[in-house]
This record gives sequence, C-alpha cells and structure tokens, in this order.
Amino acid sequence: MNMSMKDWTISLLFTSVLTAIIANFFQNDISIMESIPGVLILSSIAFIGIFIAKIVPLKVPAVVYVALTGLLLASPISPISDPIIYYTSLISFTAPLTVVGTLAGIGLDFKAFMSQSWKMIIIAVFVFTGTFLLQAVFAQVFLTVTNAF
Amino acid sequence: MEKAPQKTTIIGHLKENYRLYAIAFGIVLIAELIGTIQFSVGSALIVLYPMLFAIIISIIFGKDVLGFLKKKETKKASQLVLVAISPFMAKIGVMAGSNLPELVNVGPALVFQEFGTIGTMLFALPIALLLGLKREAIGATSSTNRDKDYGLICSKYGANSPEARGSLSIYIIGFLIGTTYLGLLASIVASFDFFHPLALAMASGIGSGVMMAAASSTLATIYPAYADQIVMLAGMSDMLSAITGIYFTLFISLPLVNKMYAWLEPKIGRRGKNKNISHSKSAESRVSQ
Repeated sequence: MNMSMKDWTISLLFTSVLTAIIANFFQNDISIMESIPGVLILSSIAFIGIFIAKIVPLKVPAVVYVALTGLLLASPISPISDPIIYYTSLISFTAPLTVVGTLAGIGLDFKAFMSQSWKMIIIAVFVFTGTFLLQAVFAQVFLTVTNAF
Repeated sequence: MEKAPQKTTIIGHLKENYRLYAIAFGIVLIAELIGTIQFSVGSALIVLYPMLFAIIISIIFGKDVLGFLKKKETKKASQLVLVAISPFMAKIGVMAGSNLPELVNVGPALVFQEFGTIGTMLFALPIALLLGLKREAIGATSSTNRDKDYGLICSKYGANSPEARGSLSIYIIGFLIGTTYLGLLASIVASFDFFHPLALAMASGIGSGVMMAAASSTLATIYPAYADQIVMLAGMSDMLSAITGIYFTLFISLPLVNKMYAWLEPKIGRRGKNKNISHSKSAESRVSQ
C-alpha cells in the first residue's frame, strides 16, 4: 500500500475506529467507553502489522502481517495476552465490518457491473459455489481423517 | 495524471476526505439502525448483517446510481477498504492466538482444504463452455479472480487477452455476487446438515476478506456454540488463501483449467459462434482500457 503511515492512521481513525465503537454499541449494547480500549488495541495491532508489511520486502498481503501480529500478541507466549484477549473480546467481530462493506460498496464500479453479460453472472455464481463446496468437502474429509473434531 | 500530495497535515487530509468520511459514517449509522435481520426459508436460516445493508445502501448513494459521491471519492473508498478491514483481521489474529491449540489441532485440514479451490473450474468451466464461452472461460474459472489473480492472468496472457477479459468480468461481478451470495450459500449448505460447522468455516476463506466475513458471520449465527472457532478458522483459511493463492493459481489451477478446457471444449463447446465473439471482443477490450 503506497499510503504513508500518517495517512493510514488518520484514515483508520475516521473509518474503523469511529464506526466500530458505534457498531459495537448498536449490535451488542456495549457502551462507548467500554469499547474504546478494545478498539484501540485492535487498531494498534493493525498499525504494527501494516508497519511490518512496509519494512519486510516479501510480497505478502499486509493483512496477513496484521493477523499474525494479533496471533502472536494473544498467544500463550505473549506476556500481555490476558489484557489483549479480555479487552478485544468486548468487540464483536462484526462491529468493524459495517464500514468495510460501506467503503467497498462506495468503491464498487456499479456501471461496470451492470455492463457484464448475464452469462458471466451465472458463471460467477458457479465459481463461488464450486470453491466453497469443494473446500467444505476437503475440510470435512481431512477433519475426519485427522480426527480433529 | 493524479498525484497524491507529498506531505499531508491532518487538516489537509480531512479537508480532502471529510465528505467521504461523513457519508460513510452516515451509511454505517443507517445500516446499524436496521440491525441484523434473520429469517428462515425452509430449513435454511438467512442472516442479513448490517455489513450487507451497508454495501447495498452505499451502492445506491454511490457515483453510478444517485451520485452522492464523486469519482475521486469512489477511488479513495476502494483504497480505504484495506485500511478499514485491518482491525477485523487483527481481531481474527487475536482469536487465533488465544485458541492456538485448537488451531494446531485442525491445522492439517486447514492446509489441505485449500486444494478445494479447484472447485471453481470443476463447477464453472462446464457451465461456461455450455454457455458458449471460449478462452474467456479459462480466466473466469481458474480462480475466484480476486485482485491478485486478475493481475496474474494479465501478466501471463496479456491484459487484452480473452483470458484476462474473463477474469476481469468475474473480478467485477465477484465482489457484489460473492459477498451477498456467499452468506446465502453458507446458510443453504448449512441447512443440509451434512458438513461440520468447522468444515464450513474453513470453506468460507476464499481469499477475500469481505466475502469471508459475510459467510463466517452467517455461520456464526447459525452455530452459536461454535461462533468463535468459526470466525477464527474462516479467517485463518482466508489468510492462507491470501498467502498461497496466486501460487496455487499459477502452478495448479491454470495448468489444470487449460487441460480441462482442451478436453471439454471439443465435447461441449458451442460451434459456429466465432464471429459473434470476436465482435464482442473488440467492444469489451475498449472498455477494459
């Protein structure tokens, strides 16, 4: 992402941070004050992950570093795992998502979508059905084989 | 040529983007007020999340329908998707970290289910050929055609190739169809009561954060006892897809879809349509430029 960390931080503040707190209130009845630590922790993890993505030259999507940072900080080896797990547990995973849908929807090229042929729309449905179903079959088989339920 | 300002102050940043932030905030508020709606159709529980309403409302407000937003803001918004989704990915990371033994336990299955990605072509290529598509079908059905896959097809076949046009179509359609449809698909498949919730969770990770979110939040509502594990596994599966995705497309999916095409096309491909297709080709390639 060719965005400066400063721009990134401001953007995050005015999109996810703000709306996740609001969404958490509407969806889960968790007061704004109670949500703030959790949202800030998640945002800080995101910040660290994006920063790592910027300095590591590997071609891996930045969100991967974000998830790995979260994983590491919340794993048993982390000295701060307890507060991180506690405060972020107050934030439901759907709370930060509403704004993601909003931005994706605003960014969608609806004209280009409408200009697609109906054949391609049918094919798209099969593409997504195909990968979902076959992944589910494979997952089911390997979960059963490795006795992991 | 557009050029981002070199040094931005906070005020400058806000001046440039305040409209986008304000409108996005308003849409989030409306979507949250609508809230989560669930109802049953037969034995399938359909769950509509605020995120889904937000997508629909923002398309309506967007530049192509009501035109509340300008083209520049639309562009900015698509850039911001990656910023805005990062706290969600952080949350998934935390959930995975706090359930590490569980994750290790299902690790092998999590890795192997990635091979299910070839389901795109197994299901969609025959349909594409029956509908009369030619080489477009290769690009369209080789993967779910997210950003990176489309880039890969372009660099391999050229941006004006039929393969790239097919890929671009699914890329464009994929977001809207993928996000709204995947949640629905998850409900329907769950209602068969055939797959374990965790298997469905892993299947939700198809290399797009938004789609994974749609499918896994639906599954989490259907199986509240597994909610945390579902979201965690869907997220981890999605992360794996994000890392391995283009290599998988390059080394496994594309060779396979080409073989399948060579085998199936003479059998079920439609004949005598070449004129038509080369005509629509030139029209489409103008659009994609």
